[in-house]
Amino acid sequence: MLMARPATLQSPVRASRISLSKRTSLLGYALVAPVVICLLILVVYPFIFGVTISFTNREIGTEGQFVGLANFIYLSKVPSFQKAIVNTIVLVGTVQTMKLVFGLGIALLLNQAIRARQFWRGLILLPWAMPAFVAYLTWKLLYLPQGGAFNIIAVGLGFGNIDFLSRELAMPSVILATFWRGFPFWVISFLAALQSVPQEQYEAAAIDGANAWQRFRHITIPGILPVVLVVVLLSTIWTTNSFENVWLITQGGPSDATMTFPVLAYFGLQTLRIGEAAAVSVAMLPVFVMMAFIGVKLLERNQE
Amino acid sequence: MLHKLSPSQKVLAYACLVLLAILILFPIYYMLTVSLKTNRDIYRVPSLLLPNPTLMNYVELLGRRGFAVNMRNSLIVAGSATVISVFISCLAAYSLVRLRYRGRTWIGRLILFSYLTPASLLFIPLAVIINRLQMGNTLHGLIFTYLTFAAPLSTWLLMGFFRNVPVDLEEQAMVDGATRLQALFRILLPVAAPGLVAVSVFTFTGAWNELLLALIFTTSPEIRTVPVALQYLITGDVFRWGLIMAGAVVAAVPVMTLYYLSQRFVVQGLAAGAVKT
Repeated sequence: MLMARPATLQSPVRASRISLSKRTSLLGYALVAPVVICLLILVVYPFIFGVTISFTNREIGTEGQFVGLANFIYLSKVPSFQKAIVNTIVLVGTVQTMKLVFGLGIALLLNQAIRARQFWRGLILLPWAMPAFVAYLTWKLLYLPQGGAFNIIAVGLGFGNIDFLSRELAMPSVILATFWRGFPFWVISFLAALQSVPQEQYEAAAIDGANAWQRFRHITIPGILPVVLVVVLLSTIWTTNSFENVWLITQGGPSDATMTFPVLAYFGLQTLRIGEAAAVSVAMLPVFVMMAFIGVKLLERNQE
Repeated sequence: MLHKLSPSQKVLAYACLVLLAILILFPIYYMLTVSLKTNRDIYRVPSLLLPNPTLMNYVELLGRRGFAVNMRNSLIVAGSATVISVFISCLAAYSLVRLRYRGRTWIGRLILFSYLTPASLLFIPLAVIINRLQMGNTLHGLIFTYLTFAAPLSTWLLMGFFRNVPVDLEEQAMVDGATRLQALFRILLPVAAPGLVAVSVFTFTGAWNELLLALIFTTSPEIRTVPVALQYLITGDVFRWGLIMAGAVVAAVPVMTLYYLSQRFVVQGLAAGAVKT
Protein backbone atom coordinates (compact mmCIF):
# COMPACT_ATOMS: atom_id res chain seq x y z
CA MET A 1 0.00 0.00 0.00
CA LEU A 2 2.62 2.49 1.01
CA MET A 3 4.55 1.67 -2.12
CA ALA A 4 1.54 2.40 -4.23
CA ARG A 5 0.86 5.88 -2.93
CA PRO A 6 3.52 7.86 -4.79
CA ALA A 7 2.31 6.34 -8.04
CA THR A 8 -1.05 8.12 -7.75
CA LEU A 9 0.66 11.40 -6.98
CA GLN A 10 2.81 11.15 -10.04
CA SER A 11 0.05 10.07 -12.40
CA PRO A 12 -0.35 12.52 -15.27
CA VAL A 13 -3.94 13.42 -14.38
CA ARG A 14 -2.91 14.96 -11.06
CA ALA A 15 0.01 17.01 -12.17
CA SER A 16 1.07 18.65 -8.92
CA ARG A 17 0.47 18.33 -5.19
CA ILE A 18 -1.12 21.76 -4.99
CA SER A 19 -3.79 21.16 -7.57
CA LEU A 20 -4.48 17.79 -5.99
CA SER A 21 -5.12 19.29 -2.58
CA LYS A 22 -7.23 22.04 -4.13
CA ARG A 23 -9.24 19.44 -5.96
CA THR A 24 -9.68 17.51 -2.71
CA SER A 25 -10.91 20.61 -0.88
CA LEU A 26 -13.36 21.45 -3.62
CA LEU A 27 -14.72 17.91 -3.63
CA GLY A 28 -14.89 18.03 0.17
CA TYR A 29 -16.97 21.21 0.15
CA ALA A 30 -19.17 19.94 -2.68
CA LEU A 31 -19.98 16.71 -0.85
CA VAL A 32 -20.73 18.34 2.49
CA ALA A 33 -22.69 21.23 0.94
CA PRO A 34 -26.17 19.60 0.71
CA VAL A 35 -26.25 18.77 4.41
CA VAL A 36 -24.78 22.13 5.40
CA ILE A 37 -27.30 24.04 3.27
CA CYS A 38 -30.13 21.97 4.75
CA LEU A 39 -29.00 22.75 8.26
CA LEU A 40 -28.52 26.45 7.52
CA ILE A 41 -32.11 26.66 6.24
CA LEU A 42 -33.72 24.31 8.74
CA VAL A 43 -31.75 24.74 11.95
CA VAL A 44 -29.46 27.77 12.03
CA TYR A 45 -31.83 30.26 10.39
CA PRO A 46 -34.92 29.15 12.39
CA PHE A 47 -32.83 29.21 15.55
CA ILE A 48 -31.79 32.85 15.02
CA PHE A 49 -35.24 33.74 13.69
CA GLY A 50 -36.88 32.19 16.78
CA VAL A 51 -34.71 34.21 19.12
CA THR A 52 -35.49 37.37 17.13
CA ILE A 53 -39.28 36.92 17.18
CA SER A 54 -39.24 36.29 20.90
CA PHE A 55 -38.35 39.99 21.28
CA THR A 56 -41.29 41.14 19.14
CA ASN A 57 -45.06 41.27 19.53
CA ARG A 58 -45.49 39.34 16.30
CA GLU A 59 -48.79 37.59 15.69
CA ILE A 60 -49.73 35.27 12.83
CA GLY A 61 -50.15 37.46 9.75
CA THR A 62 -48.30 40.51 11.09
CA GLU A 63 -44.63 41.32 11.18
CA GLY A 64 -44.66 42.62 14.75
CA GLN A 65 -42.47 45.22 16.40
CA PHE A 66 -39.49 45.02 18.68
CA VAL A 67 -40.72 45.05 22.26
CA GLY A 68 -37.51 44.25 24.10
CA LEU A 69 -37.95 41.96 27.07
CA ALA A 70 -41.72 42.55 27.32
CA ASN A 71 -42.62 38.96 26.42
CA PHE A 72 -40.27 37.55 29.00
CA ILE A 73 -41.46 39.95 31.70
CA TYR A 74 -45.04 39.07 30.86
CA LEU A 75 -44.29 35.34 30.92
CA SER A 76 -42.54 35.52 34.27
CA LYS A 77 -45.87 36.66 35.75
CA VAL A 78 -47.94 33.93 34.10
CA PRO A 79 -48.74 31.06 36.52
CA SER A 80 -48.56 28.45 33.71
CA PHE A 81 -45.02 29.52 32.95
CA GLN A 82 -43.91 29.24 36.56
CA LYS A 83 -45.60 25.85 36.74
CA ALA A 84 -43.79 24.80 33.56
CA ILE A 85 -40.39 25.63 35.08
CA VAL A 86 -41.05 23.66 38.25
CA ASN A 87 -42.71 20.74 36.42
CA THR A 88 -39.98 20.42 33.82
CA ILE A 89 -37.33 20.28 36.54
CA VAL A 90 -39.30 17.76 38.62
CA LEU A 91 -40.13 15.58 35.61
CA VAL A 92 -36.63 15.51 34.14
CA GLY A 93 -34.90 15.20 37.52
CA THR A 94 -37.03 12.27 38.68
CA VAL A 95 -37.13 10.41 35.37
CA GLN A 96 -33.40 10.68 34.80
CA THR A 97 -32.56 9.57 38.34
CA MET A 98 -34.86 6.55 37.92
CA LYS A 99 -33.29 5.70 34.56
CA LEU A 100 -29.80 5.97 35.98
CA VAL A 101 -30.47 3.76 38.99
CA PHE A 102 -32.63 1.13 37.28
CA GLY A 103 -30.72 1.30 34.00
CA LEU A 104 -27.42 0.60 35.69
CA GLY A 105 -28.95 -2.08 37.92
CA ILE A 106 -30.55 -3.92 35.00
CA ALA A 107 -27.40 -3.61 32.88
CA LEU A 108 -25.31 -5.10 35.70
CA LEU A 109 -27.88 -7.90 36.03
CA LEU A 110 -27.85 -8.68 32.31
CA ASN A 111 -24.07 -8.63 32.34
CA GLN A 112 -24.06 -11.67 34.65
CA ALA A 113 -23.96 -15.30 33.60
CA ILE A 114 -27.72 -15.70 33.22
CA ARG A 115 -29.59 -17.93 30.82
CA ALA A 116 -30.92 -16.63 27.49
CA ARG A 117 -29.20 -13.26 27.67
CA GLN A 118 -30.07 -12.45 24.07
CA PHE A 119 -33.75 -13.02 24.84
CA TRP A 120 -33.69 -10.64 27.80
CA ARG A 121 -31.91 -7.99 25.81
CA GLY A 122 -34.51 -8.22 23.06
CA LEU A 123 -37.26 -7.96 25.65
CA ILE A 124 -35.70 -4.87 27.25
CA LEU A 125 -35.62 -3.13 23.88
CA LEU A 126 -39.39 -3.48 23.38
CA PRO A 127 -40.59 -0.21 24.96
CA TRP A 128 -37.97 1.73 23.10
CA ALA A 129 -38.58 0.06 19.75
CA MET A 130 -42.20 1.14 20.08
CA PRO A 131 -43.05 4.55 18.65
CA ALA A 132 -43.28 7.11 21.46
CA PHE A 133 -46.85 8.07 20.59
CA VAL A 134 -47.94 4.42 20.73
CA ALA A 135 -46.27 3.98 24.12
CA TYR A 136 -47.89 7.09 25.60
CA LEU A 137 -51.34 6.34 24.18
CA THR A 138 -51.07 2.91 25.77
CA TRP A 139 -50.15 4.41 29.15
CA LYS A 140 -53.03 6.85 28.89
CA LEU A 141 -55.25 3.79 28.45
CA LEU A 142 -53.71 2.08 31.49
CA TYR A 143 -54.48 5.16 33.62
CA LEU A 144 -58.10 5.63 32.48
CA PRO A 145 -60.59 5.91 35.32
CA GLN A 146 -63.04 3.81 33.28
CA GLY A 147 -61.67 0.68 31.62
CA GLY A 148 -58.04 1.41 32.53
CA ALA A 149 -56.00 -1.62 33.58
CA PHE A 150 -54.56 -0.02 36.73
CA ASN A 151 -58.03 0.74 38.02
CA ILE A 152 -59.20 -2.78 37.35
CA ILE A 153 -56.24 -3.96 39.44
CA ALA A 154 -56.78 -1.31 42.14
CA VAL A 155 -60.46 -2.25 42.48
CA GLY A 156 -59.55 -5.95 42.45
CA LEU A 157 -57.10 -5.39 45.29
CA GLY A 158 -59.72 -3.49 47.27
CA PHE A 159 -58.27 0.03 46.92
CA GLY A 160 -61.34 1.25 45.09
CA ASN A 161 -61.18 3.58 42.10
CA ILE A 162 -57.99 5.65 41.93
CA ASP A 163 -57.85 8.68 39.64
CA PHE A 164 -54.34 8.37 38.21
CA LEU A 165 -54.81 11.52 36.15
CA SER A 166 -55.96 13.72 39.05
CA ARG A 167 -54.06 16.81 40.12
CA GLU A 168 -52.03 14.93 42.70
CA LEU A 169 -51.25 11.82 40.67
CA ALA A 170 -50.96 13.15 37.11
CA MET A 171 -47.28 14.05 37.45
CA PRO A 172 -46.19 10.68 38.92
CA SER A 173 -48.24 9.01 36.17
CA VAL A 174 -46.46 10.96 33.43
CA ILE A 175 -43.11 10.25 35.12
CA LEU A 176 -43.71 6.48 35.23
CA ALA A 177 -44.73 6.36 31.54
CA THR A 178 -41.74 8.47 30.50
CA PHE A 179 -39.45 6.19 32.48
CA TRP A 180 -40.96 3.05 30.90
CA ARG A 181 -40.44 4.28 27.38
CA GLY A 182 -36.93 5.68 27.97
CA PHE A 183 -35.04 3.24 30.19
CA PRO A 184 -34.10 0.64 27.49
CA PHE A 185 -31.81 3.15 25.80
CA TRP A 186 -29.88 3.50 29.07
CA VAL A 187 -29.73 -0.25 29.69
CA ILE A 188 -28.40 -1.02 26.21
CA SER A 189 -25.85 1.80 26.31
CA PHE A 190 -24.68 0.80 29.81
CA LEU A 191 -24.40 -2.84 28.72
CA ALA A 192 -22.22 -1.89 25.76
CA ALA A 193 -20.05 0.17 28.11
CA LEU A 194 -19.78 -2.62 30.68
CA GLN A 195 -18.64 -5.03 28.01
CA SER A 196 -15.90 -2.68 26.89
CA VAL A 197 -14.27 -2.68 30.35
CA PRO A 198 -11.21 -5.00 30.09
CA GLN A 199 -11.79 -8.32 31.86
CA GLU A 200 -8.14 -8.52 32.97
CA GLN A 201 -8.64 -5.55 35.29
CA TYR A 202 -11.25 -7.50 37.25
CA GLU A 203 -9.03 -10.55 37.40
CA ALA A 204 -6.04 -8.50 38.59
CA ALA A 205 -8.21 -6.80 41.21
CA ALA A 206 -9.61 -10.13 42.39
CA ILE A 207 -6.07 -11.45 42.84
CA ASP A 208 -5.20 -8.33 44.84
CA GLY A 209 -8.12 -9.19 47.10
CA ALA A 210 -10.57 -6.45 46.08
CA ASN A 211 -14.17 -7.23 47.04
CA ALA A 212 -17.16 -6.82 44.73
CA TRP A 213 -17.92 -3.28 45.87
CA GLN A 214 -14.30 -2.19 45.50
CA ARG A 215 -14.15 -3.67 41.99
CA PHE A 216 -17.35 -1.83 41.09
CA ARG A 217 -16.15 1.41 42.61
CA HIS A 218 -12.61 1.43 41.15
CA ILE A 219 -12.93 -0.46 37.86
CA THR A 220 -16.55 -0.49 36.66
CA ILE A 221 -17.45 3.13 37.42
CA PRO A 222 -14.36 4.74 35.86
CA GLY A 223 -14.62 2.30 32.93
CA ILE A 224 -18.18 3.23 31.99
CA LEU A 225 -18.13 6.89 33.01
CA PRO A 226 -17.57 8.39 29.52
CA VAL A 227 -20.59 6.52 28.14
CA VAL A 228 -22.71 7.31 31.19
CA LEU A 229 -22.00 11.03 30.80
CA VAL A 230 -23.02 11.03 27.13
CA VAL A 231 -26.19 9.05 27.81
CA VAL A 232 -27.21 11.27 30.73
CA LEU A 233 -26.64 14.41 28.71
CA LEU A 234 -28.33 13.33 25.47
CA SER A 235 -31.27 11.81 27.27
CA THR A 236 -31.66 14.94 29.42
CA ILE A 237 -31.85 17.10 26.31
CA TRP A 238 -34.51 14.83 24.77
CA THR A 239 -36.52 14.41 27.95
CA THR A 240 -36.55 18.16 28.61
CA ASN A 241 -37.95 18.66 25.14
CA SER A 242 -40.28 15.71 24.83
CA PHE A 243 -43.80 16.69 23.95
CA GLU A 244 -45.67 13.42 23.41
CA ASN A 245 -45.35 12.12 26.96
CA VAL A 246 -47.24 15.05 28.44
CA TRP A 247 -49.42 15.94 25.48
CA LEU A 248 -50.88 12.49 24.90
CA ILE A 249 -51.39 11.58 28.56
CA THR A 250 -52.58 14.82 30.20
CA GLN A 251 -52.21 17.74 27.75
CA GLY A 252 -50.50 19.60 30.57
CA GLY A 253 -53.50 19.31 32.91
CA PRO A 254 -55.38 19.04 35.10
CA SER A 255 -55.02 22.78 35.73
CA ASP A 256 -51.34 22.95 34.72
CA ALA A 257 -50.37 20.08 37.07
CA THR A 258 -48.20 18.58 34.32
CA MET A 259 -47.50 21.68 32.20
CA THR A 260 -44.00 21.62 30.69
CA PHE A 261 -42.13 23.95 28.34
CA PRO A 262 -42.79 22.21 25.02
CA VAL A 263 -46.52 21.87 25.76
CA LEU A 264 -46.76 25.49 26.86
CA ALA A 265 -45.01 26.62 23.67
CA TYR A 266 -47.45 24.51 21.63
CA PHE A 267 -50.41 26.15 23.39
CA GLY A 268 -48.74 29.50 22.74
CA LEU A 269 -48.71 28.79 19.03
CA GLN A 270 -52.44 27.96 19.19
CA THR A 271 -53.14 31.49 20.48
CA LEU A 272 -51.39 32.81 17.33
CA ARG A 273 -49.26 35.22 19.41
CA ILE A 274 -46.03 33.76 18.11
CA GLY A 275 -43.79 36.38 19.74
CA GLU A 276 -44.91 35.18 23.15
CA ALA A 277 -44.88 31.53 22.11
CA ALA A 278 -41.32 31.80 20.84
CA ALA A 279 -40.33 33.46 24.11
CA VAL A 280 -41.41 30.29 25.96
CA SER A 281 -38.94 28.22 23.93
CA VAL A 282 -36.25 30.86 24.09
CA ALA A 283 -36.55 30.99 27.88
CA MET A 284 -34.99 27.52 27.99
CA LEU A 285 -32.19 28.60 25.71
CA PRO A 286 -29.49 29.24 28.34
CA VAL A 287 -29.92 25.76 29.81
CA PHE A 288 -30.10 24.18 26.39
CA VAL A 289 -27.03 25.98 25.03
CA MET A 290 -25.03 24.94 28.05
CA MET A 291 -26.07 21.30 27.62
CA ALA A 292 -25.36 21.41 23.89
CA PHE A 293 -21.86 22.78 24.42
CA ILE A 294 -21.04 20.09 26.96
CA GLY A 295 -22.60 17.56 24.58
CA VAL A 296 -20.46 18.64 21.63
CA LYS A 297 -17.34 18.38 23.80
CA LEU A 298 -18.24 14.94 25.16
CA LEU A 299 -19.27 13.48 21.81
CA GLU A 300 -16.20 14.81 20.03
CA ARG A 301 -14.00 13.32 22.71
CA ASN A 302 -15.79 9.96 22.58
CA GLN A 303 -15.54 9.68 18.84
CA GLU A 304 -11.76 10.04 18.83
CA MET B 1 -17.76 -9.59 35.69
CA LEU B 2 -19.01 -12.90 34.32
CA HIS B 3 -18.40 -14.85 37.50
CA LYS B 4 -20.71 -17.65 38.63
CA LEU B 5 -23.64 -16.59 40.78
CA SER B 6 -24.41 -18.36 44.01
CA PRO B 7 -27.81 -20.15 44.13
CA SER B 8 -29.42 -17.45 46.28
CA GLN B 9 -28.09 -14.72 44.01
CA LYS B 10 -29.50 -16.64 41.09
CA VAL B 11 -32.99 -16.75 42.59
CA LEU B 12 -32.84 -13.03 43.25
CA ALA B 13 -31.56 -12.30 39.74
CA TYR B 14 -34.31 -14.28 38.04
CA ALA B 15 -36.96 -12.82 40.34
CA CYS B 16 -35.84 -9.33 39.25
CA LEU B 17 -35.92 -10.35 35.61
CA VAL B 18 -39.43 -11.77 35.87
CA LEU B 19 -40.67 -8.57 37.54
CA LEU B 20 -39.01 -6.59 34.78
CA ALA B 21 -40.65 -8.76 32.12
CA ILE B 22 -44.07 -8.09 33.67
CA LEU B 23 -43.39 -4.34 33.79
CA ILE B 24 -42.40 -4.38 30.12
CA LEU B 25 -45.01 -6.77 28.76
CA PHE B 26 -48.11 -5.79 30.70
CA PRO B 27 -48.80 -2.49 28.87
CA ILE B 28 -48.23 -4.21 25.54
CA TYR B 29 -50.53 -7.07 26.52
CA TYR B 30 -53.28 -4.64 27.57
CA MET B 31 -52.92 -2.62 24.38
CA LEU B 32 -53.40 -5.80 22.32
CA THR B 33 -56.39 -7.05 24.28
CA VAL B 34 -58.19 -3.69 24.20
CA SER B 35 -57.66 -3.48 20.45
CA LEU B 36 -59.53 -6.80 20.21
CA LYS B 37 -62.47 -5.74 22.39
CA THR B 38 -65.79 -4.12 21.63
CA ASN B 39 -66.48 -0.75 23.22
CA ARG B 40 -69.10 -2.41 25.39
CA ASP B 41 -66.62 -4.90 26.80
CA ILE B 42 -64.09 -2.16 27.53
CA TYR B 43 -66.43 -0.05 29.68
CA ARG B 44 -69.28 -2.28 30.89
CA VAL B 45 -67.29 -5.19 32.25
CA PRO B 46 -63.71 -3.93 32.59
CA SER B 47 -61.40 -6.92 32.68
CA LEU B 48 -57.76 -7.75 32.14
CA LEU B 49 -58.85 -10.77 30.12
CA LEU B 50 -60.30 -11.05 26.66
CA PRO B 51 -63.72 -12.70 26.81
CA ASN B 52 -65.03 -11.96 23.29
CA PRO B 53 -62.13 -11.27 20.92
CA THR B 54 -63.13 -9.45 17.75
CA LEU B 55 -61.33 -7.83 14.81
CA MET B 56 -64.10 -5.24 14.53
CA ASN B 57 -61.83 -2.33 15.52
CA TYR B 58 -59.26 -3.18 12.87
CA VAL B 59 -61.95 -3.52 10.21
CA GLU B 60 -63.47 -0.17 11.12
CA LEU B 61 -60.08 1.55 11.35
CA LEU B 62 -58.82 0.43 7.98
CA GLY B 63 -62.19 0.56 6.28
CA ARG B 64 -64.44 3.39 7.36
CA ARG B 65 -61.83 5.54 9.12
CA GLY B 66 -59.47 5.59 6.16
CA PHE B 67 -56.47 4.78 8.29
CA ALA B 68 -54.82 3.33 5.19
CA VAL B 69 -54.44 6.90 3.90
CA ASN B 70 -52.62 7.91 7.09
CA MET B 71 -50.37 4.87 6.79
CA ARG B 72 -49.63 5.78 3.19
CA ASN B 73 -48.80 9.38 4.18
CA SER B 74 -46.47 8.18 6.91
CA LEU B 75 -44.79 5.75 4.54
CA ILE B 76 -44.24 8.47 1.93
CA VAL B 77 -42.96 10.99 4.47
CA ALA B 78 -40.72 8.64 6.44
CA GLY B 79 -39.49 6.81 3.33
CA SER B 80 -38.59 9.97 1.41
CA ALA B 81 -37.00 11.67 4.40
CA THR B 82 -34.88 8.56 4.95
CA VAL B 83 -33.73 8.22 1.34
CA ILE B 84 -32.84 11.91 1.00
CA SER B 85 -31.21 12.14 4.40
CA VAL B 86 -29.16 8.96 4.09
CA PHE B 87 -27.98 9.93 0.60
CA ILE B 88 -26.80 13.45 1.43
CA SER B 89 -25.43 12.26 4.78
CA CYS B 90 -23.28 9.60 3.08
CA LEU B 91 -21.66 12.30 0.97
CA ALA B 92 -21.17 14.61 3.94
CA ALA B 93 -19.84 11.90 6.25
CA TYR B 94 -17.40 10.73 3.57
CA SER B 95 -16.21 14.27 3.05
CA LEU B 96 -15.73 14.91 6.78
CA VAL B 97 -14.01 11.62 7.54
CA ARG B 98 -11.83 11.10 4.47
CA LEU B 99 -10.99 14.50 3.01
CA ARG B 100 -8.85 17.19 4.59
CA TYR B 101 -9.82 20.80 4.02
CA ARG B 102 -10.25 24.05 5.90
CA GLY B 103 -13.29 24.53 8.13
CA ARG B 104 -13.90 20.79 8.40
CA THR B 105 -13.91 20.83 12.22
CA TRP B 106 -16.42 23.67 12.26
CA ILE B 107 -18.72 21.94 9.84
CA GLY B 108 -18.51 18.85 12.06
CA ARG B 109 -19.48 21.01 15.03
CA LEU B 110 -22.38 22.59 13.16
CA ILE B 111 -23.75 19.12 12.47
CA LEU B 112 -23.32 18.03 16.06
CA PHE B 113 -24.91 21.21 17.35
CA SER B 114 -27.87 20.74 14.99
CA TYR B 115 -28.23 17.19 16.24
CA LEU B 116 -28.52 18.48 19.79
CA THR B 117 -30.95 21.29 18.94
CA PRO B 118 -34.40 20.16 20.08
CA ALA B 119 -37.46 20.46 17.86
CA SER B 120 -39.35 22.24 20.64
CA LEU B 121 -36.98 25.17 20.16
CA LEU B 122 -37.40 25.27 16.40
CA PHE B 123 -41.03 24.47 15.73
CA ILE B 124 -42.40 28.01 15.95
CA PRO B 125 -39.92 29.64 13.54
CA LEU B 126 -40.14 26.55 11.31
CA ALA B 127 -43.91 26.98 11.14
CA VAL B 128 -43.45 30.55 9.91
CA ILE B 129 -40.79 29.54 7.38
CA ILE B 130 -42.75 26.59 6.01
CA ASN B 131 -45.81 28.77 5.50
CA ARG B 132 -43.73 31.40 3.77
CA LEU B 133 -42.34 28.73 1.43
CA GLN B 134 -45.96 27.70 0.74
CA MET B 135 -45.23 24.20 2.01
CA GLY B 136 -47.71 24.25 4.90
CA ASN B 137 -50.18 21.35 4.88
CA THR B 138 -48.24 19.34 2.32
CA LEU B 139 -46.34 16.09 2.60
CA HIS B 140 -43.21 17.51 0.98
CA GLY B 141 -43.19 20.27 3.59
CA LEU B 142 -43.04 17.56 6.25
CA ILE B 143 -40.36 15.61 4.40
CA PHE B 144 -38.32 18.80 4.16
CA THR B 145 -38.63 19.70 7.85
CA TYR B 146 -37.82 16.17 8.97
CA LEU B 147 -34.35 16.68 7.54
CA THR B 148 -33.75 18.95 10.57
CA PHE B 149 -33.34 15.93 12.81
CA ALA B 150 -32.61 13.24 10.22
CA ALA B 151 -29.61 14.76 8.44
CA PRO B 152 -27.44 15.63 11.47
CA LEU B 153 -28.18 12.28 13.11
CA SER B 154 -27.43 10.25 9.97
CA THR B 155 -24.26 12.19 9.25
CA TRP B 156 -23.00 11.85 12.79
CA LEU B 157 -23.66 8.10 12.95
CA LEU B 158 -22.27 7.45 9.47
CA MET B 159 -19.08 9.29 10.37
CA GLY B 160 -18.58 6.76 13.15
CA PHE B 161 -19.18 3.83 10.82
CA PHE B 162 -16.96 5.20 8.03
CA ARG B 163 -14.14 5.86 10.46
CA ASN B 164 -14.10 2.17 11.36
CA VAL B 165 -13.53 1.10 7.76
CA PRO B 166 -9.79 0.93 6.93
CA VAL B 167 -8.88 3.60 4.40
CA ASP B 168 -6.59 1.14 2.54
CA LEU B 169 -9.49 -0.46 0.70
CA GLU B 170 -10.45 2.77 -1.03
CA GLU B 171 -6.86 3.75 -1.73
CA GLN B 172 -6.32 0.40 -3.38
CA ALA B 173 -9.32 1.00 -5.63
CA MET B 174 -8.07 4.49 -6.50
CA VAL B 175 -4.68 3.09 -7.40
CA ASP B 176 -6.52 0.80 -9.75
CA GLY B 177 -8.04 3.85 -11.42
CA ALA B 178 -11.30 4.41 -9.53
CA THR B 179 -12.32 8.00 -8.82
CA ARG B 180 -13.03 9.08 -5.26
CA LEU B 181 -16.78 8.88 -5.77
CA GLN B 182 -16.47 5.41 -7.26
CA ALA B 183 -14.40 4.41 -4.25
CA LEU B 184 -17.15 5.78 -2.00
CA PHE B 185 -20.04 4.03 -3.74
CA ARG B 186 -18.41 0.78 -4.79
CA ILE B 187 -16.03 0.13 -1.90
CA LEU B 188 -16.85 2.10 1.24
CA LEU B 189 -20.66 1.90 1.20
CA PRO B 190 -20.85 -1.88 0.72
CA VAL B 191 -18.35 -2.40 3.53
CA ALA B 192 -20.26 0.01 5.79
CA ALA B 193 -23.62 -1.57 4.86
CA PRO B 194 -24.53 -2.57 8.45
CA GLY B 195 -24.08 1.06 9.43
CA LEU B 196 -26.28 2.19 6.55
CA VAL B 197 -28.98 -0.22 7.70
CA ALA B 198 -28.81 1.05 11.28
CA VAL B 199 -28.90 4.69 10.18
CA SER B 200 -31.81 4.07 7.78
CA VAL B 201 -33.81 2.33 10.51
CA PHE B 202 -33.21 5.19 12.94
CA THR B 203 -34.10 7.83 10.40
CA PHE B 204 -37.20 6.02 9.23
CA THR B 205 -38.52 5.37 12.73
CA GLY B 206 -37.70 8.92 13.79
CA ALA B 207 -39.81 10.32 10.97
CA TRP B 208 -42.55 7.70 11.43
CA ASN B 209 -42.87 8.57 15.12
CA GLU B 210 -42.77 12.36 14.86
CA LEU B 211 -45.86 14.05 16.27
CA LEU B 212 -45.20 17.69 17.17
CA LEU B 213 -44.15 19.08 13.77
CA ALA B 214 -46.72 16.93 11.95
CA LEU B 215 -49.43 18.21 14.27
CA ILE B 216 -48.53 21.81 13.50
CA PHE B 217 -47.92 21.53 9.76
CA THR B 218 -50.86 19.38 8.67
CA THR B 219 -54.28 20.92 8.75
CA SER B 220 -56.45 18.73 6.54
CA PRO B 221 -57.36 15.15 7.50
CA GLU B 222 -56.27 13.59 4.20
CA ILE B 223 -52.63 14.50 4.71
CA ARG B 224 -52.38 13.54 8.38
CA THR B 225 -49.64 11.11 9.29
CA VAL B 226 -50.32 8.16 11.61
CA PRO B 227 -49.37 9.82 14.93
CA VAL B 228 -51.50 12.86 14.12
CA ALA B 229 -54.49 10.73 13.09
CA LEU B 230 -54.30 8.84 16.38
CA GLN B 231 -53.95 11.96 18.50
CA TYR B 232 -57.14 13.30 16.85
CA LEU B 233 -58.88 10.09 17.91
CA ILE B 234 -58.04 10.80 21.58
CA THR B 235 -58.81 14.51 21.52
CA GLY B 236 -62.16 13.94 19.81
CA ASP B 237 -65.43 13.96 21.74
CA VAL B 238 -66.06 10.22 21.90
CA PHE B 239 -63.25 8.06 23.15
CA ARG B 240 -63.01 4.88 21.16
CA TRP B 241 -60.20 3.12 22.93
CA GLY B 242 -60.59 -0.11 21.00
CA LEU B 243 -60.16 1.82 17.79
CA ILE B 244 -57.25 3.90 19.16
CA MET B 245 -55.39 0.80 20.33
CA ALA B 246 -56.00 -0.96 17.02
CA GLY B 247 -54.39 2.09 15.39
CA ALA B 248 -51.53 1.95 17.85
CA VAL B 249 -50.90 -1.70 17.04
CA VAL B 250 -51.03 -1.09 13.29
CA ALA B 251 -48.66 1.90 13.69
CA ALA B 252 -46.20 0.00 15.88
CA VAL B 253 -45.95 -3.24 13.93
CA PRO B 254 -43.97 -2.04 10.87
CA VAL B 255 -41.48 -0.09 12.96
CA MET B 256 -40.98 -2.80 15.54
CA THR B 257 -40.56 -5.44 12.84
CA LEU B 258 -37.91 -3.28 11.24
CA TYR B 259 -36.17 -2.97 14.60
CA TYR B 260 -36.17 -6.65 15.21
CA LEU B 261 -34.89 -7.54 11.77
CA SER B 262 -32.00 -5.15 12.16
CA GLN B 263 -31.51 -5.50 15.91
CA ARG B 264 -27.86 -6.49 15.60
CA PHE B 265 -26.99 -3.37 13.63
CA VAL B 266 -29.22 -1.15 15.70
CA VAL B 267 -27.52 -2.08 18.95
CA GLN B 268 -24.18 -1.58 17.26
CA GLY B 269 -25.33 1.82 16.05
CA LEU B 270 -26.46 2.70 19.55
CA ALA B 271 -23.05 1.89 20.89
CA ALA B 272 -21.54 3.95 18.07
CA GLY B 273 -23.31 7.17 18.64
CA ALA B 274 -26.45 7.35 20.75
CA VAL B 275 -29.72 8.24 19.19
CA LYS B 276 -32.54 10.69 19.36
CA THR B 277 -35.86 9.19 20.38
